[in-house]
Amino acid sequence: MVEIKHLTKYYGQKAAVKDISFTIGDNEILGFLGPNGAGKSTTLNIMCGVIPSTSGTVTINGYNIETDPVKAKRCIGFLPEIPPVYTDMKVGEYLMFVAGLRGVPSSQRRSHVERVMRRLNIEDVSKRLIGNLSKGYRQRVGFAQALIGDPKVIVLDEPTVGLDPSQLIEVRNIIIDLKRDHSVILSSHILSEISAVCDRVVIISHGEIQAIDTIANLESSAGANTVLKLKVQGSSREVARTAMNVEGVLNVSNITFVKTGVYTYDVELASPDVRNSLLSALLINKMNVIEVAEERKSLEQIFIKLVNQPAGKKKSLKDLLEEMTDESEKSNEISENETEENTPTDENGEV
Amino acid sequence: MFSLYKKELQGYFFSPIAYVFIGLVTLIFSGFFVWWIYTAASTQIEFSFSYFFYYNILFTTILLIPILTMRAFAEERKNGTEVLLLSSPLSVSKIVIAKFLAVATVLVIAMLISFIYPIIASIHGYVVMPNLIASYIGYLLYGLAYIALGLLVSSFVATPGLAMLLSVAVSLILFFMELMLGSSYIASIPVISDVLYWFSNQAKFENFTQGFCQLSDLVSYATEIAVFLLWTIISIEKRRFSRS
Repeated sequence: MVEIKHLTKYYGQKAAVKDISFTIGDNEILGFLGPNGAGKSTTLNIMCGVIPSTSGTVTINGYNIETDPVKAKRCIGFLPEIPPVYTDMKVGEYLMFVAGLRGVPSSQRRSHVERVMRRLNIEDVSKRLIGNLSKGYRQRVGFAQALIGDPKVIVLDEPTVGLDPSQLIEVRNIIIDLKRDHSVILSSHILSEISAVCDRVVIISHGEIQAIDTIANLESSAGANTVLKLKVQGSSREVARTAMNVEGVLNVSNITFVKTGVYTYDVELASPDVRNSLLSALLINKMNVIEVAEERKSLEQIFIKLVNQPAGKKKSLKDLLEEMTDESEKSNEISENETEENTPTDENGEV
Repeated sequence: MFSLYKKELQGYFFSPIAYVFIGLVTLIFSGFFVWWIYTAASTQIEFSFSYFFYYNILFTTILLIPILTMRAFAEERKNGTEVLLLSSPLSVSKIVIAKFLAVATVLVIAMLISFIYPIIASIHGYVVMPNLIASYIGYLLYGLAYIALGLLVSSFVATPGLAMLLSVAVSLILFFMELMLGSSYIASIPVISDVLYWFSNQAKFENFTQGFCQLSDLVSYATEIAVFLLWTIISIEKRRFSRS
């Protein structure tokens, strides 16, 4: 649906985006993840033809955005960071205007706008001035604007910034709903946002792609060593022994005292499915499980690592995960040495 | 393109701007009309309207047209709605032309309202028709040239207020250039006076008020409008390259 090849953008001498290539398939939600100033908005703006690229090509539905902009732009609905709404227009009026702009035939315009408004639940504000709407509604009007003309590709630039939690869930549902008949690209610097809705993630930092992978891949590799945090009533020795007897339990560690007869345990499992057999084993032995929490290798950590690694390195998420586990093992062994090693390098860096 | 034109026009008429513009143009017309009658010597008044258009156009172009054009691109940029237009399947030239036509429509409406004065005059006196028609054509072209100039200035900046101030400043500079053309010192140096004359809007407008509708003047105004509009398109395209 969308193909981006070797996209590069310079602002003067400064490279905002360097040699980015990725594709978006039909009916796919692609997450575009990166810290502020990584080049997300620049890439999306180039995709939508708002700014030209220095080199590289963007092909949308077979049309090149530079050489065939009118046809390519017809296939795109764009919601920029700030919803591009005219505050002195009414919602219905504004959407009719956008429909005209996108070339919806005038005979179908009204019914089309009404359908989009119904989809986003903004029919009741259609007669109100956009300037008087709350931020959540304004965002939804921005969404509606992107949907006008039924574009195949929908580009959302940080659609959830500044929304309250309930609006956030609403927006998430809208995005998932869009997947039925659109390809969606969604940029964000919030990881949970991306992992909640996206099929695939592109992680970008300093204008370069650091990783492209599916959320499922990422989760399966991260979930390989699920750690359960248990709070159990009973003798610590007996609980540990019972847990270790369950097939699939790799390790019980970090036993800490909470109060008399109650301890917390970190139980490492071979796979998440072991959880039930572990819990039932504990219950059969009349050990009262007070609290169960699952600790996964958080996506957040992977993200931070990817983003902070020196520019130019490209790795798959799997490589990184392996590296992380290696490092954590090492750091456990030589934690004291490491701190000593770190200080001089810091000083060197400053000098 | 038509929907953008319609939206722009609605924007002018749903806000006070168009009414303020039309009201002020009409007020200035009325003022000169009353003044003309007041100072008229004979009872059989002959209206050529040339004098009246001549001063009227100065007010309109220097002070009033910037009110209309200031928002055109500056406000889009300020509110972030420029992105909507640039990501829509409209080319930049169509966007510029739609906006130009919308402002031109407001000017035409103001001119239509001003027909009331020749009508009143023709009831009570004698109106020199060729002068009147040529003056209106000249007035429209002169106005369109300044609208194109105002759009150009608006495409340079990101705040409507600044666009207005700059437009007034540029119009004033052009006005002073015309004043210099009239000075005897400049007239004594043929090269400079010739060059100034080529670029003088007023000198051409004077021909129109005399009832002459010359092809050279028409072409000259049309070129001026085209140059300013093209420059606006280039200015917006250029900004696309450097925006972040």
